[in-house]
Formats: sequence, structure tokens, C-alpha cells
Amino acid sequence: MSALAAELPWLWASLLALGMATVAAIWGMFPRYDSQGEAIVDAQNKYFEHFVLLMLVLSVVLMSVAIGVRWDRLGHGPFVNLFELLMSQIWSLSLFYAVIYWWLPNLRGTSVIVFPALWVLGTWVLVLEPVASFYPATYYNDWKWAHVFFGKIFLAASLVGVGLAGVILLRRTRMLKLFGRMPNDDALDRVMWRFMMFALIFDSLMLIAGAVWAQDAWGRYWQWDELETSSFLNWLYLGAIIHLRMTYRIPLQVGAWLVIGVFVFAFLTYFGMPYISPAAHKGVV
Amino acid sequence: MRWLYAMASLKVTLSGMLLLAVGSMLTYGGDTGFSVWVLVVPMALLAVNLICAIASNRKINRQPGLLLFHLALLSLVVVVAVGRLSHLEAQLEMTVGQRFDANSLVQLQQGPWHVGDLSEIDFSQGPYVVNYEPGIQRGPTMSQVGVFKADGSVEALVVGDDTPLIFGDYRLYTSFNKGFSLILEWLSNDGSLVTGSINMPSYPLNDYRQKNEWMPPGSDQTVKFWLRLDTDYDEDNYWLLSEDNSSAVLVITVGDQRVELQEGQELQFESGTLRYKDLTMWMGYTIFYDPTLRWLFFISVFGVLGLAWHLWSHADRLLAVTSQKDIKG
Repeated sequence: MSALAAELPWLWASLLALGMATVAAIWGMFPRYDSQGEAIVDAQNKYFEHFVLLMLVLSVVLMSVAIGVRWDRLGHGPFVNLFELLMSQIWSLSLFYAVIYWWLPNLRGTSVIVFPALWVLGTWVLVLEPVASFYPATYYNDWKWAHVFFGKIFLAASLVGVGLAGVILLRRTRMLKLFGRMPNDDALDRVMWRFMMFALIFDSLMLIAGAVWAQDAWGRYWQWDELETSSFLNWLYLGAIIHLRMTYRIPLQVGAWLVIGVFVFAFLTYFGMPYISPAAHKGVV
Repeated sequence: MRWLYAMASLKVTLSGMLLLAVGSMLTYGGDTGFSVWVLVVPMALLAVNLICAIASNRKINRQPGLLLFHLALLSLVVVVAVGRLSHLEAQLEMTVGQRFDANSLVQLQQGPWHVGDLSEIDFSQGPYVVNYEPGIQRGPTMSQVGVFKADGSVEALVVGDDTPLIFGDYRLYTSFNKGFSLILEWLSNDGSLVTGSINMPSYPLNDYRQKNEWMPPGSDQTVKFWLRLDTDYDEDNYWLLSEDNSSAVLVITVGDQRVELQEGQELQFESGTLRYKDLTMWMGYTIFYDPTLRWLFFISVFGVLGLAWHLWSHADRLLAVTSQKDIKG
């Protein structure tokens, strides 16, 4: 039997903490009533929220250790194969959302959507083998860091947008009561589109940093490879829907679905393109 | 003025974006055979739309951050077009010891407005090494070059991977295409001596196909070369591709005759003598020229800063919406 990769126990512990945060977040959103049938006030709900934040932060810390252990084992960061990319994205998305969760209490209800989305990545990473990855020479470029950083902020902001969109949509179902303590749909809609504009800024910065990296890494700042083309289409789509929202009175539900489309598009770009192209970028080796 | 508002409409914007998306998908993968017009037409449409929108739409021209962003987008379209019209790309193989010669460029592509001067490029190729990790995965490339200065001095540089050799707006990048080169001497029967090189196929990509052909002067018979290399090639471990740890036997086939030559040995032909003088290496370079790179960078950064400025100016409203004072659902 081959030895267990050193980062795996930390990864599992991180996902366990995330799982506890997920259960607590969803359970905490259900309205609770006392023996007289009166709704229990916010004070008790705060216990759940504090526990969720604690577990989320613990998950981030444990994932940091997992990434660090793997980094030390392989001698390079989590930038190449799917296993480490998933670890890295779970880490950054969780970290960003932890900040939003702490900073904007009125939006904590989005955890009901955000955590399951994180678990898509969490489940995926659990079925992958932690094989070592080869670090191409062109990845030593400093602009890679900028590209990755901006991309993570973009994806995280999109995820928050998805959370807000999900609340808007779920309020039209039987799950309405879950979100009784959150701002109304119009307010959520305004916040959602602000997050998408924020996402557009970092999406643009990601493309710029990526182009600078590509110029010296692969000899040309834009080659219309699979990843670049998909990223550009994603940026164009985000710009188009922002224009739609700013100019027309699109229904809230339509806006919500459009925003979800941004994250799905980005997800398919980031995680789907490697299945189409043998290399993340043309000429990566 | 009606046409101004018509061209500024969001319908034109969305149509242009859709056309640009289609053009992008048709262009994906690079040399697809589709005309560049699949991108030029939608970009031109969006540029006209943007000019009209900036001129007529107060939501854009009265908000400085948003205006800066859209002006930057417009500028980018123009600058990218100028860049493509004035660009140059080519490939080059440089043998160790060889000085750059613009006539050696292959696969040359240049825009109609290209005004660069290839004589700016003046360097000679030195030795290089390439590190390989287990599984023949190419690691860092370090190519030594000597850059000839105007004062006659030679500056030694090491380039490779993402460290290009730069001459003005020309950038030369090492490529995965590299290999071994035979230095041969031909002494014809009339006493004239010619020294030349024959580049073998890329290595280690073509490990067992290190072949080439040549026809001696004054002969109609093709000489086939095959290089039997000894490079400490190791698929399972770390390996360094270097001239220092490489040697080769040159196997020459002429008709039914097969001869093996070590370095320094020679073979007699009817019209002269061929001597296997030396084994060296060649490095493949990609040359890229685009005078607009810096402009593209600064324009795009300023554009994004404009967008950030616009968002920041509305930050108070964002925070108010998310505060406890907001109406709950």
C-alpha cells in the first residue's frame, strides 16, 4: 500500500470543518419557535452564525496547512494539476467568503447557497489522487502571482453574487422562510450587481496580468487558446449582462440567473478547459 | 442626431458583443483559416457604438470613472489594431557560434505597417543547457548569447523561457525547438575548403530520428546522415541536455555504402573529402515585434482604475444597503 500523501489528513480535516459550517449554516437558517409558538429572537441565531464563522475560519486555516504541506513536499505551489487547483480554490473562495460573512452580517443567509457550491469543489477533490505535478519553467514568472490573485478575487466575488442570486430565486419557493431575516429582493439585487461590477474589475485585471505573463512565458500576449478564449468570452458575457442590468428593467429572477451564469461560465473555464486542452495554456511546456 | 442615438443604443452594443463572441469562437485555437475580419468587424461596430455612446449618453460622459473605462476600451481597440498591422513574428535557428542573420528567418509574418529594422538585432549564439525532470519534462532553459554593442564590446547574457533577448521592440524567445548540429568541412578536389553546419531534427523530441540529407558539391548523389547520440539521456531521472555531456557518431549512408565517423574523421568522395569536424547545438528562437505592448498595458490598467473609481464612488450606497438599517425581507 502506498504511503498517504502528507497533505491529505489536513485536507480532510479542512473539509470536515467546512462540512460542519455547512450543516450549521443551513440548520441555523431555519426559523425556530418557542413553546408558545413565538419565533425565537435573533440572539439564538447568532450562536449558529458564530459557529459557522469559526468553522469556516478553521477550514481555511487547515486548508492553508494542507497547501503548505503539499508545497513543501513538491517544491512548488498549487498551480498545475486539478487536485492542487481545487485545494487552492476552496481555500481562496472560503477565505473571501469568511471575510464577507464576518463583515456583512445581513448577507450571511447566502451561506445556504455558497457552502454547497464550495462542496462541489470539495467533493471533487476527494475523488482525485494527490499525484505530484510538474512545474513548468514558465510558471516561475512573477506575473503568474498577479494573474492568480486577481482571478481568485474575481471568482470569489462571483460566488458571492451566486449566493445573493440564489436567495432571490429561492425566495420564490417553499424556502422563503429561510431568508426572512435578510434584506428584501431589491436590496439584494443592488448588492449582487455591485459584487458583479467588483468581479468585472478583477476579471479585467486577471486578463491583463495573464496577457503580460503570456507575452514572456509563451512569446505572445494573446493566442486565442482554449483558456484565453473562454476567459475572454466570460469577461464579455459579464460586461454584457451588466449593460443589460444598467439599461433595462430586467426582472430580478432573470438577473439572478444571469449572475449565476457568470460563475458557471467561469467554473467551466477554469476547471473544464483542461479536459479539452492537454495544457492549461498553449505552449505551457 | 437620430443616427447618433441609434448607434449609441444598447442593442447595438449587445449585437456587437454577440458578434465578437462568435468571432472569438471562430478564431479560437489560432490559425484557423478564418479571416481576421470575423474579429475586425465586431470590434469596429463596438468602437463606433462606443464613440456614439460616449458622445450622447450622460450615464457615461458625466461619470468620470466610467468615462475613463470606456475611453480606455476604445483606445485598446485602436492600439490592438495598430499592433497587429505593425507586428512581426518569425522563427529562427541559431547554431552555437553563429551570428544573427536576418536572412535566416523562416515562417515570417508581418503586418503591412511593419517599420521595424531587423538590423537592430545583433548577437551571437553561445552554449546552452536545458534541464529535464523525470519523465523528460522540460525545465529551465539557459541560453548564453553575446550581444554586440555599438562601441564594439560584447555583452554576455543568459536568456531562456520567460527571459527574452530584447532589441528595441524586438523580443527573441527560446523555444522547445532545439537540437544538435553537425559542423562539416568539405574539401573539394580543386582545393577549396567550405565549412558549414547541418541542423538535425529537434531533440529529444526526435530522439531516434536524428537524420538529414545533403548533396556534396559536384555530385548528384544524396548523402544520408544519421546521428547516433550519447547524451546521458535518462527518462526516469533528472537530466541535463548540454553540449558538454554529449557526443555522437555520424553514420553516413551513400548508396550501399555505410560508414561511421567519429569527430575529426573524414570520408572520401569522388568530388572531394567530407570531414566530420565537430558536434555542436542549435537553439530555436521565436521573434516577436509589437511596438504597442507598453501602450496596451498602461491603457488597460488606467481603464480598470477608472472602473474601480466608479465603483468606489458608489461604495457608500453599497454599504448602506447591507447595513442593519435596511428593510428586511
